[in-house]
Amino acid sequence: MYAKRFEPIVDKCGEIIEYLMSSPDMPENAELQFKIRLSIEEAVENIVRYAYEGGAGYLEAATSLDNGMLTVSLTDSGTPFDPLAKPDPDITLSAEDRPIGGLGIFLCKQLMDDIYYNYKDGCNILTMKKGTSASN
Amino acid sequence: MNVTINQEGNKYHVVLDGRIDTTNANQFQQDLTPLMEAANADIEIDCSAMEYTSSQGLRIFLMLQKSVMAHSGKMVLCKLQPQVKEVFDITGFSNIIKII
Repeated sequence: MYAKRFEPIVDKCGEIIEYLMSSPDMPENAELQFKIRLSIEEAVENIVRYAYEGGAGYLEAATSLDNGMLTVSLTDSGTPFDPLAKPDPDITLSAEDRPIGGLGIFLCKQLMDDIYYNYKDGCNILTMKKGTSASN
Repeated sequence: MNVTINQEGNKYHVVLDGRIDTTNANQFQQDLTPLMEAANADIEIDCSAMEYTSSQGLRIFLMLQKSVMAHSGKMVLCKLQPQVKEVFDITGFSNIIKII
């Protein structure tokens, strides 16, 4: 398991993303890396911004690889919050009617193969999976 | 992210170079302020050197599209890299922002 605990996490978005992208579990394929990086950025940014409501706290960032399936997991002990519970944005609306924002977690859902949320032992755990063969 | 804006009358030719992410989205938004305030603007944005955008970049593109429409202008993005184009596609932005 490739894992590191970051604390505090304020202003650490970039560092956490680079740590995860440097994992030996990451695929070398540039297109896959693009999708994984974008998903990681959206998920990490959500946690850094909202989990501790500006207060101090930690984020544990980890990756693993099992049978070609990459798993990225992000754990924090902030306010219980399921980012996946929010309805997806209506992408058929006109420019006038589209609200600004609200696309981050939707992008994770679209770009990764699987994403799920657990609340366990006082922690939010967000898990994202992506197959690492180039056809993904 | 480098933003270059060349203006001739109401025509704006904009070149984006680099990445838009959480670290520079605020600067990107500031750099586009002249476009958001222009009336009847005719804007072409060359995205051939834009390597990446997160949702932070998307929100600014939507803000720009809304303000251009409110100011009776028009805007087109051109030469998007395939992966960036895919991000515009899956979020429905390809339907609300003109892309050639």
